[in-house]
Amino acid sequence: MELEDIFSSRLRMKTLKLLDKMHELNVSEIAHRLGVNYGVATKHLKVLEEEGIIQHKMFGRICLYRLNENSLKTKAIQNLIDVWEHANKQKTAAP
Amino acid sequence: MSYYRSLFKDETKLDINYIPYALPHRESELRLLKEFFSFALQSPEKMTQRVIITGDVGTGKTALSQRFGAEITHEAAKRSVNLYYVHVNCREYRGSLFLILQHAVSVFHPNFPKRGYSAEELLGMLMQMLDEEKAHIILTLDEFESLVENEGNEAVYKITRLPETRPDKPQRLSLICIMRELKVIERLDASTRSSLQSNIIGLQKYSKKQLVDILATRADLAFKPSAVPEDTLEMIAENAFSENGNARFGIELLWRAGKYANADEQYTVTAECVRKAVSSIVPAMRRSDLESLSLNEKLFLLGVARIFKQNKNASVTLAEAERTYAIVCEEFNTSPVSHTQLWKYLRGLTGSGILKAEVIATGTRGRSTIVSLPRIPASELEKELDNLLENEKT
Repeated sequence: MELEDIFSSRLRMKTLKLLDKMHELNVSEIAHRLGVNYGVATKHLKVLEEEGIIQHKMFGRICLYRLNENSLKTKAIQNLIDVWEHANKQKTAAP
Repeated sequence: MSYYRSLFKDETKLDINYIPYALPHRESELRLLKEFFSFALQSPEKMTQRVIITGDVGTGKTALSQRFGAEITHEAAKRSVNLYYVHVNCREYRGSLFLILQHAVSVFHPNFPKRGYSAEELLGMLMQMLDEEKAHIILTLDEFESLVENEGNEAVYKITRLPETRPDKPQRLSLICIMRELKVIERLDASTRSSLQSNIIGLQKYSKKQLVDILATRADLAFKPSAVPEDTLEMIAENAFSENGNARFGIELLWRAGKYANADEQYTVTAECVRKAVSSIVPAMRRSDLESLSLNEKLFLLGVARIFKQNKNASVTLAEAERTYAIVCEEFNTSPVSHTQLWKYLRGLTGSGILKAEVIATGTRGRSTIVSLPRIPASELEKELDNLLENEKT
Protein backbone atom coordinates (compact mmCIF):
# COMPACT_ATOMS: atom_id res chain seq x y z
CA MET A 1 0.00 0.00 0.00
CA GLU A 2 1.25 3.46 -0.85
CA LEU A 3 1.63 6.32 1.61
CA GLU A 4 -1.21 8.27 -0.04
CA ASP A 5 -3.57 5.31 0.49
CA ILE A 6 -3.16 5.72 4.23
CA PHE A 7 -3.04 9.51 4.35
CA SER A 8 -5.93 10.08 1.95
CA SER A 9 -8.40 8.43 4.30
CA ARG A 10 -9.70 10.78 6.97
CA LEU A 11 -10.97 7.86 9.08
CA ARG A 12 -7.68 5.99 8.93
CA MET A 13 -5.74 9.06 10.03
CA LYS A 14 -8.26 9.68 12.83
CA THR A 15 -7.90 6.06 13.94
CA LEU A 16 -4.11 6.40 14.07
CA LYS A 17 -4.33 9.66 16.03
CA LEU A 18 -6.80 8.04 18.41
CA LEU A 19 -4.60 5.00 19.07
CA ASP A 20 -1.56 7.23 19.45
CA LYS A 21 -3.41 9.18 22.14
CA MET A 22 -5.24 6.35 23.93
CA HIS A 23 -2.58 3.65 23.59
CA GLU A 24 -5.14 0.88 23.01
CA LEU A 25 -8.90 0.54 22.48
CA ASN A 26 -11.46 -2.09 21.56
CA VAL A 27 -13.32 -1.93 18.23
CA SER A 28 -16.65 -0.67 19.60
CA GLU A 29 -14.92 2.15 21.42
CA ILE A 30 -12.95 3.13 18.31
CA ALA A 31 -16.16 3.12 16.24
CA HIS A 32 -17.95 5.19 18.92
CA ARG A 33 -15.17 7.77 19.11
CA LEU A 34 -14.93 8.06 15.33
CA GLY A 35 -18.70 8.33 15.02
CA VAL A 36 -18.99 5.41 12.59
CA ASN A 37 -20.58 1.98 12.81
CA TYR A 38 -18.75 -1.17 13.87
CA GLY A 39 -18.39 -2.47 10.30
CA VAL A 40 -16.75 0.70 8.98
CA ALA A 41 -14.31 0.82 11.89
CA THR A 42 -13.42 -2.86 11.41
CA LYS A 43 -12.75 -2.33 7.70
CA HIS A 44 -10.25 0.48 8.32
CA LEU A 45 -8.62 -1.35 11.23
CA LYS A 46 -8.10 -4.35 9.01
CA VAL A 47 -6.38 -2.25 6.34
CA LEU A 48 -4.06 -0.65 8.91
CA GLU A 49 -3.29 -4.03 10.47
CA GLU A 50 -2.49 -5.64 7.11
CA GLU A 51 -0.02 -2.82 6.55
CA GLY A 52 1.61 -3.69 9.91
CA ILE A 53 0.91 -0.25 11.36
CA ILE A 54 -1.40 -1.53 14.09
CA GLN A 55 -1.88 -4.88 15.84
CA HIS A 56 -4.56 -6.52 17.91
CA LYS A 57 -4.70 -8.77 20.96
CA MET A 58 -7.61 -10.94 22.03
CA PHE A 59 -8.72 -11.29 25.64
CA GLY A 60 -11.59 -13.75 25.53
CA ARG A 61 -14.08 -12.05 23.24
CA ILE A 62 -12.49 -8.64 23.65
CA CYS A 63 -10.26 -7.42 20.82
CA LEU A 64 -7.90 -4.56 21.69
CA TYR A 65 -6.09 -2.61 18.98
CA ARG A 66 -2.89 -0.64 19.47
CA LEU A 67 -0.12 0.85 17.34
CA ASN A 68 2.56 -1.64 16.36
CA GLU A 69 5.55 -0.18 18.18
CA ASN A 70 7.95 -2.44 16.23
CA SER A 71 6.97 -1.04 12.83
CA LEU A 72 9.11 1.70 11.25
CA LYS A 73 6.01 2.99 9.44
CA THR A 74 4.25 3.37 12.80
CA LYS A 75 7.22 5.23 14.26
CA ALA A 76 7.20 7.61 11.27
CA ILE A 77 3.47 8.24 11.69
CA GLN A 78 3.82 8.79 15.45
CA ASN A 79 6.62 11.25 14.78
CA LEU A 80 4.50 13.08 12.21
CA ILE A 81 1.57 13.34 14.65
CA ASP A 82 3.86 14.65 17.41
CA VAL A 83 5.52 17.28 15.22
CA TRP A 84 2.21 18.34 13.68
CA GLU A 85 0.46 18.77 17.03
CA HIS A 86 3.42 20.57 18.58
CA ALA A 87 3.47 23.01 15.67
CA ASN A 88 -0.28 23.57 16.01
CA LYS A 89 0.12 24.33 19.72
CA GLN A 90 2.89 26.83 19.01
CA LYS A 91 0.73 28.49 16.39
CA THR A 92 -2.18 28.80 18.85
CA ALA A 93 0.08 30.12 21.62
CA ALA A 94 1.71 32.77 19.39
CA PRO A 95 0.44 36.34 20.01
CA MET B 1 -1.58 43.83 55.76
CA SER B 2 -1.44 40.45 57.48
CA TYR B 3 0.56 37.51 56.24
CA TYR B 4 -0.83 33.99 56.44
CA ARG B 5 1.16 32.00 58.93
CA SER B 6 0.51 28.29 59.12
CA LEU B 7 1.53 25.83 61.81
CA PHE B 8 1.56 23.10 59.17
CA LYS B 9 4.71 22.07 57.42
CA ASP B 10 2.96 19.53 55.21
CA GLU B 11 -0.65 18.76 56.07
CA THR B 12 -0.88 16.03 53.41
CA LYS B 13 0.96 13.83 55.93
CA LEU B 14 -2.32 13.74 57.87
CA ASP B 15 -4.40 12.78 54.85
CA ILE B 16 -6.22 9.47 54.98
CA ASN B 17 -4.47 8.35 51.78
CA TYR B 18 -0.95 9.06 53.01
CA ILE B 19 1.07 5.89 53.60
CA PRO B 20 3.60 6.59 56.36
CA TYR B 21 7.12 5.18 56.07
CA ALA B 22 7.08 4.18 59.72
CA LEU B 23 4.17 2.34 61.31
CA PRO B 24 4.72 2.63 65.06
CA HIS B 25 3.58 -0.45 66.98
CA ARG B 26 2.89 -2.44 63.81
CA GLU B 27 6.49 -3.38 63.07
CA SER B 28 6.13 -7.06 63.97
CA GLU B 29 2.93 -7.44 61.91
CA LEU B 30 4.69 -5.86 58.93
CA ARG B 31 7.57 -8.31 59.32
CA LEU B 32 5.11 -11.21 59.50
CA LEU B 33 3.32 -10.06 56.36
CA LYS B 34 6.65 -9.82 54.51
CA GLU B 35 7.51 -13.29 55.75
CA PHE B 36 4.24 -14.70 54.37
CA PHE B 37 5.04 -13.23 50.96
CA SER B 38 8.80 -13.80 50.87
CA PHE B 39 8.22 -16.43 48.13
CA ALA B 40 6.96 -13.64 45.81
CA LEU B 41 10.48 -12.24 45.62
CA GLN B 42 12.19 -15.59 45.24
CA SER B 43 9.93 -17.87 43.21
CA PRO B 44 6.70 -16.03 42.47
CA GLU B 45 5.49 -18.50 39.85
CA LYS B 46 5.71 -21.51 42.13
CA MET B 47 3.17 -20.62 44.77
CA THR B 48 0.46 -18.28 45.86
CA GLN B 49 -0.60 -16.99 49.26
CA ARG B 50 -3.77 -15.92 51.05
CA VAL B 51 -3.60 -13.77 54.18
CA ILE B 52 -6.32 -12.27 56.33
CA ILE B 53 -5.79 -9.04 58.26
CA THR B 54 -8.39 -8.30 60.94
CA GLY B 55 -8.83 -5.50 63.41
CA ASP B 56 -11.22 -2.79 64.49
CA VAL B 57 -11.63 0.58 62.76
CA GLY B 58 -8.44 2.64 62.97
CA THR B 59 -6.14 -0.19 64.05
CA GLY B 60 -3.92 0.28 60.98
CA LYS B 61 -5.11 -2.54 58.69
CA THR B 62 -5.07 -0.48 55.49
CA ALA B 63 -1.87 1.38 56.38
CA LEU B 64 -0.12 -1.90 57.21
CA SER B 65 -1.15 -3.51 53.95
CA GLN B 66 -0.28 -0.49 51.82
CA ARG B 67 3.11 -0.04 53.52
CA PHE B 68 3.78 -3.71 52.83
CA GLY B 69 2.68 -3.23 49.20
CA ALA B 70 5.00 -0.27 48.72
CA GLU B 71 7.95 -2.10 50.24
CA ILE B 72 7.52 -5.41 48.46
CA THR B 73 7.06 -3.81 45.03
CA HIS B 74 10.14 -1.66 45.64
CA GLU B 75 12.14 -4.74 46.58
CA ALA B 76 10.75 -6.65 43.58
CA ALA B 77 11.80 -3.86 41.21
CA LYS B 78 15.32 -3.99 42.61
CA ARG B 79 15.44 -7.74 41.92
CA SER B 80 13.77 -7.39 38.47
CA VAL B 81 10.77 -9.45 39.64
CA ASN B 82 7.54 -8.51 37.88
CA LEU B 83 5.35 -8.08 40.94
CA TYR B 84 2.27 -5.88 41.28
CA TYR B 85 0.46 -4.85 44.45
CA VAL B 86 -3.15 -3.77 43.82
CA HIS B 87 -5.22 -2.44 46.71
CA VAL B 88 -8.98 -2.37 46.18
CA ASN B 89 -11.56 -1.16 48.66
CA CYS B 90 -14.46 -3.54 48.01
CA ARG B 91 -17.02 -1.09 49.41
CA GLU B 92 -15.97 1.57 46.89
CA TYR B 93 -16.78 -0.97 44.18
CA ARG B 94 -20.13 -1.82 45.81
CA GLY B 95 -18.82 -5.29 46.76
CA SER B 96 -18.99 -6.36 43.11
CA LEU B 97 -16.40 -8.93 42.02
CA PHE B 98 -16.82 -7.72 38.45
CA LEU B 99 -15.91 -4.11 39.35
CA ILE B 100 -13.07 -5.21 41.62
CA LEU B 101 -11.52 -7.32 38.86
CA GLN B 102 -12.06 -4.53 36.39
CA HIS B 103 -9.95 -2.30 38.61
CA ALA B 104 -7.21 -4.95 38.65
CA VAL B 105 -7.38 -5.32 34.86
CA SER B 106 -7.15 -1.54 34.40
CA VAL B 107 -3.65 -1.68 35.94
CA PHE B 108 -2.50 -3.55 32.82
CA HIS B 109 -4.95 -2.16 30.26
CA PRO B 110 -6.34 1.22 31.36
CA ASN B 111 -8.78 1.45 28.43
CA PHE B 112 -10.16 -2.05 28.74
CA PRO B 113 -13.90 -1.99 27.83
CA LYS B 114 -16.26 -1.77 30.79
CA ARG B 115 -19.00 -4.02 29.43
CA GLY B 116 -19.57 -7.16 27.43
CA TYR B 117 -18.32 -10.00 29.63
CA SER B 118 -18.92 -11.69 32.98
CA ALA B 119 -16.84 -11.57 36.17
CA GLU B 120 -15.70 -15.13 35.48
CA GLU B 121 -14.52 -14.21 31.96
CA LEU B 122 -12.82 -11.15 33.39
CA LEU B 123 -10.92 -13.30 35.87
CA GLY B 124 -9.73 -15.43 32.94
CA MET B 125 -8.66 -12.31 31.06
CA LEU B 126 -6.74 -11.06 34.11
CA MET B 127 -4.92 -14.38 34.30
CA GLN B 128 -4.10 -14.18 30.58
CA MET B 129 -2.67 -10.68 31.09
CA LEU B 130 -0.58 -11.88 34.03
CA ASP B 131 0.65 -14.87 32.02
CA GLU B 132 1.64 -12.63 29.11
CA GLU B 133 3.45 -10.20 31.37
CA LYS B 134 4.92 -13.08 33.43
CA ALA B 135 3.71 -11.15 36.45
CA HIS B 136 2.48 -11.99 39.94
CA ILE B 137 -0.18 -9.84 41.54
CA ILE B 138 -0.94 -9.40 45.24
CA LEU B 139 -4.56 -8.30 45.24
CA THR B 140 -5.69 -6.73 48.50
CA LEU B 141 -9.42 -6.81 49.10
CA ASP B 142 -9.99 -4.13 51.72
CA GLU B 143 -13.40 -4.11 53.46
CA PHE B 144 -13.78 -7.72 52.39
CA GLU B 145 -17.13 -7.80 54.24
CA SER B 146 -18.64 -5.86 51.38
CA LEU B 147 -17.67 -8.52 48.81
CA VAL B 148 -19.04 -11.35 50.99
CA GLU B 149 -22.28 -9.43 51.66
CA ASN B 150 -22.84 -8.61 48.02
CA GLU B 151 -21.61 -11.69 46.20
CA GLY B 152 -21.75 -14.43 48.81
CA ASN B 153 -19.80 -17.64 48.65
CA GLU B 154 -19.39 -18.17 44.93
CA ALA B 155 -17.34 -15.07 44.09
CA VAL B 156 -14.98 -15.61 46.98
CA TYR B 157 -14.67 -19.27 46.01
CA LYS B 158 -13.74 -18.30 42.44
CA ILE B 159 -10.79 -16.16 43.47
CA THR B 160 -9.56 -18.18 46.42
CA ARG B 161 -9.61 -21.53 44.60
CA LEU B 162 -8.11 -20.14 41.41
CA PRO B 163 -4.69 -21.81 41.88
CA GLU B 164 -6.39 -25.22 41.88
CA THR B 165 -8.04 -24.53 38.54
CA ARG B 166 -4.66 -24.10 36.83
CA PRO B 167 -2.44 -26.72 38.47
CA ASP B 168 0.20 -26.97 35.72
CA LYS B 169 0.50 -23.27 35.07
CA PRO B 170 2.59 -20.65 36.89
CA GLN B 171 0.89 -19.15 39.94
CA ARG B 172 -0.09 -15.54 39.43
CA LEU B 173 -2.59 -14.28 42.02
CA SER B 174 -2.17 -13.90 45.79
CA LEU B 175 -4.73 -12.37 48.10
CA ILE B 176 -4.81 -10.22 51.20
CA CYS B 177 -8.31 -9.95 52.66
CA ILE B 178 -8.88 -7.13 55.14
CA MET B 179 -11.88 -7.30 57.45
CA ARG B 180 -12.93 -6.05 60.85
CA GLU B 181 -14.03 -9.38 62.27
CA LEU B 182 -13.33 -12.96 61.32
CA LYS B 183 -16.97 -13.87 61.72
CA VAL B 184 -17.54 -12.38 58.24
CA ILE B 185 -16.10 -15.51 56.68
CA GLU B 186 -18.34 -17.78 58.75
CA ARG B 187 -20.90 -17.23 56.01
CA LEU B 188 -18.65 -18.93 53.49
CA ASP B 189 -18.68 -22.66 52.90
CA ALA B 190 -16.12 -24.87 54.61
CA SER B 191 -13.75 -25.30 51.66
CA THR B 192 -13.62 -21.57 50.85
CA ARG B 193 -13.10 -20.80 54.51
CA SER B 194 -10.30 -23.30 54.86
CA SER B 195 -8.46 -21.83 51.87
CA LEU B 196 -8.61 -18.39 53.44
CA GLN B 197 -8.06 -19.03 57.09
CA SER B 198 -4.54 -20.34 57.16
CA ASN B 199 -2.70 -17.06 57.73
CA ILE B 200 -4.34 -14.51 60.00
CA ILE B 201 -2.83 -11.29 61.28
CA GLY B 202 -4.99 -9.81 64.03
CA LEU B 203 -4.39 -6.17 64.91
CA GLN B 204 -5.14 -5.26 68.51
CA LYS B 205 -6.69 -1.97 69.55
CA TYR B 206 -3.99 0.69 70.19
CA SER B 207 -3.33 1.70 73.78
CA LYS B 208 -3.33 5.38 74.72
CA LYS B 209 0.47 5.39 74.89
CA GLN B 210 0.72 3.82 71.43
CA LEU B 211 -1.70 6.42 70.08
CA VAL B 212 0.51 9.18 71.51
CA ASP B 213 3.49 7.66 69.64
CA ILE B 214 1.55 7.45 66.39
CA LEU B 215 0.27 11.03 66.71
CA ALA B 216 3.73 12.32 67.64
CA THR B 217 5.22 10.68 64.53
CA ARG B 218 2.58 12.24 62.29
CA ALA B 219 2.81 15.61 64.05
CA ASP B 220 6.57 15.68 63.36
CA LEU B 221 5.89 15.12 59.67
CA ALA B 222 2.93 17.48 59.32
CA PHE B 223 3.64 20.40 61.66
CA LYS B 224 6.47 22.87 62.17
CA PRO B 225 8.74 22.15 65.14
CA SER B 226 7.12 22.67 68.57
CA ALA B 227 3.72 23.46 67.03
CA VAL B 228 1.98 20.62 68.84
CA PRO B 229 2.69 20.50 72.59
CA GLU B 230 2.91 17.16 74.33
CA ASP B 231 -0.26 17.64 76.38
CA THR B 232 -2.21 18.41 73.21
CA LEU B 233 -1.03 15.09 71.75
CA GLU B 234 -2.03 13.37 74.99
CA MET B 235 -5.46 14.94 74.80
CA ILE B 236 -5.99 13.87 71.19
CA ALA B 237 -4.77 10.37 72.05
CA GLU B 238 -7.24 10.26 74.93
CA ASN B 239 -10.06 11.14 72.55
CA ALA B 240 -8.92 8.56 70.00
CA PHE B 241 -8.62 5.95 72.73
CA SER B 242 -12.18 6.61 73.86
CA GLU B 243 -13.22 6.16 70.21
CA ASN B 244 -12.17 2.52 70.50
CA GLY B 245 -8.45 3.16 70.00
CA ASN B 246 -9.10 4.59 66.55
CA ALA B 247 -5.81 6.05 65.26
CA ARG B 248 -7.47 7.37 62.11
CA PHE B 249 -9.87 9.40 64.26
CA GLY B 250 -6.89 10.74 66.23
CA ILE B 251 -5.03 11.75 63.06
CA GLU B 252 -8.10 13.49 61.69
CA LEU B 253 -8.55 15.26 65.01
CA LEU B 254 -4.92 16.40 64.92
CA TRP B 255 -5.41 17.85 61.44
CA ARG B 256 -8.65 19.57 62.41
CA ALA B 257 -7.16 20.99 65.61
CA GLY B 258 -4.30 22.36 63.48
CA LYS B 259 -6.83 24.07 61.24
CA TYR B 260 -8.56 25.70 64.24
CA ALA B 261 -5.16 26.78 65.57
CA ASN B 262 -4.36 28.45 62.23
CA ALA B 263 -7.79 30.09 62.04
CA ASP B 264 -7.37 31.47 65.59
CA GLU B 265 -3.82 32.64 64.75
CA GLN B 266 -2.35 30.56 67.59
CA TYR B 267 1.35 29.85 67.91
CA THR B 268 0.70 26.26 68.94
CA VAL B 269 -2.15 23.75 68.66
CA THR B 270 -3.79 24.30 72.04
CA ALA B 271 -6.17 22.13 74.05
CA GLU B 272 -8.99 24.52 73.13
CA CYS B 273 -8.31 23.88 69.42
CA VAL B 274 -8.70 20.15 70.13
CA ARG B 275 -12.01 20.76 71.90
CA LYS B 276 -13.27 22.77 68.93
CA ALA B 277 -12.12 19.99 66.61
CA VAL B 278 -13.88 17.33 68.67
CA SER B 279 -17.11 19.26 68.85
CA SER B 280 -17.01 19.76 65.08
CA ILE B 281 -16.68 16.02 64.51
CA VAL B 282 -19.05 14.70 67.18
CA PRO B 283 -22.00 16.57 68.63
CA ALA B 284 -20.37 16.76 72.05
CA MET B 285 -22.79 18.98 73.87
CA ARG B 286 -26.54 19.12 73.82
CA ARG B 287 -28.13 22.15 75.38
CA SER B 288 -30.60 19.89 77.20
CA ASP B 289 -27.68 18.15 78.96
CA LEU B 290 -26.67 21.47 80.48
CA GLU B 291 -30.23 22.57 81.25
CA SER B 292 -30.81 19.54 83.44
CA LEU B 293 -27.83 20.37 85.69
CA SER B 294 -28.37 21.89 89.14
CA LEU B 295 -27.36 25.53 89.78
CA ASN B 296 -24.14 24.53 91.58
CA GLU B 297 -23.18 22.06 88.87
CA LYS B 298 -23.59 24.82 86.30
CA LEU B 299 -21.51 27.20 88.42
CA PHE B 300 -18.76 24.63 88.85
CA LEU B 301 -18.76 23.93 85.13
CA LEU B 302 -18.69 27.65 84.39
CA GLY B 303 -15.61 27.96 86.59
CA VAL B 304 -13.92 25.12 84.71
CA ALA B 305 -14.86 26.68 81.36
CA ARG B 306 -13.36 30.00 82.41
CA ILE B 307 -10.12 28.35 83.53
CA PHE B 308 -9.69 26.60 80.20
CA LYS B 309 -10.67 29.68 78.24
CA GLN B 310 -7.76 31.61 79.80
CA ASN B 311 -5.40 28.71 80.26
CA LYS B 312 -3.84 26.82 77.36
CA ASN B 313 -3.24 23.69 79.44
CA ALA B 314 -5.23 20.55 78.77
CA SER B 315 -6.03 19.90 82.44
CA VAL B 316 -6.23 21.57 85.87
CA THR B 317 -6.26 20.26 89.41
CA LEU B 318 -9.60 19.89 91.18
CA ALA B 319 -8.28 22.27 93.86
CA GLU B 320 -7.83 24.99 91.26
CA ALA B 321 -11.25 24.27 89.77
CA GLU B 322 -12.75 24.47 93.26
CA ARG B 323 -11.16 27.88 93.89
CA THR B 324 -12.55 29.25 90.66
CA TYR B 325 -15.95 27.74 91.49
CA ALA B 326 -15.90 29.65 94.82
CA ILE B 327 -15.31 32.93 92.94
CA VAL B 328 -18.15 32.15 90.53
CA CYS B 329 -20.42 31.44 93.53
CA GLU B 330 -19.59 34.89 94.91
CA GLU B 331 -20.52 36.41 91.55
CA PHE B 332 -23.88 34.64 91.66
CA ASN B 333 -24.40 35.33 95.34
CA THR B 334 -24.56 31.64 96.25
CA SER B 335 -22.80 29.62 98.94
CA PRO B 336 -20.43 27.01 97.52
CA VAL B 337 -21.24 23.37 98.24
CA SER B 338 -18.90 21.17 100.28
CA HIS B 339 -15.89 19.44 98.77
CA THR B 340 -17.63 16.06 99.06
CA GLN B 341 -20.68 17.36 97.24
CA LEU B 342 -18.46 18.85 94.56
CA TRP B 343 -16.86 15.43 94.13
CA LYS B 344 -20.30 13.96 93.48
CA TYR B 345 -20.99 16.67 90.91
CA LEU B 346 -17.68 15.94 89.25
CA ARG B 347 -18.57 12.25 89.02
CA GLY B 348 -21.90 13.12 87.41
CA LEU B 349 -20.26 15.49 84.92
CA THR B 350 -17.64 12.92 83.97
CA GLY B 351 -20.35 10.28 83.63
CA SER B 352 -22.17 12.42 81.08
CA GLY B 353 -18.89 12.95 79.20
CA ILE B 354 -18.73 16.72 79.70
CA LEU B 355 -15.69 16.59 82.00
CA LYS B 356 -12.98 14.05 82.52
CA ALA B 357 -11.37 13.38 85.90
CA GLU B 358 -8.27 11.40 86.67
CA VAL B 359 -6.58 10.72 90.01
CA ILE B 360 -2.80 10.93 89.77
CA ALA B 361 0.00 10.38 92.26
CA THR B 362 1.89 13.58 93.17
CA GLY B 363 5.17 12.41 94.63
CA THR B 364 5.33 12.38 98.40
CA ARG B 365 2.25 14.52 98.86
CA GLY B 366 -0.31 11.88 98.01
CA ARG B 367 -2.81 12.00 95.19
CA SER B 368 -4.42 14.74 93.21
CA THR B 369 -7.46 14.89 90.96
CA ILE B 370 -6.92 16.30 87.50
CA VAL B 371 -9.90 17.72 85.63
CA SER B 372 -10.04 18.20 81.87
CA LEU B 373 -12.57 19.32 79.31
CA PRO B 374 -12.02 16.78 76.52
CA ARG B 375 -14.65 17.60 73.94
CA ILE B 376 -16.38 20.94 74.29
CA PRO B 377 -14.64 24.21 73.45
CA ALA B 378 -14.38 26.22 76.67
CA SER B 379 -15.60 29.42 75.01
CA GLU B 380 -18.69 27.64 73.69
CA LEU B 381 -19.43 26.06 77.06
CA GLU B 382 -19.04 29.38 78.87
CA LYS B 383 -21.42 31.07 76.43
CA GLU B 384 -24.05 28.37 76.86
CA LEU B 385 -23.80 28.42 80.65
CA ASP B 386 -23.92 32.24 80.78
CA ASN B 387 -27.15 32.15 78.76
CA LEU B 388 -28.69 29.45 80.96
CA LEU B 389 -27.71 31.18 84.21
CA GLU B 390 -29.00 34.49 82.92
CA ASN B 391 -32.37 32.87 82.18
CA GLU B 392 -32.44 31.31 85.65
CA LYS B 393 -31.87 34.72 87.23
CA THR B 394 -34.76 36.27 85.37
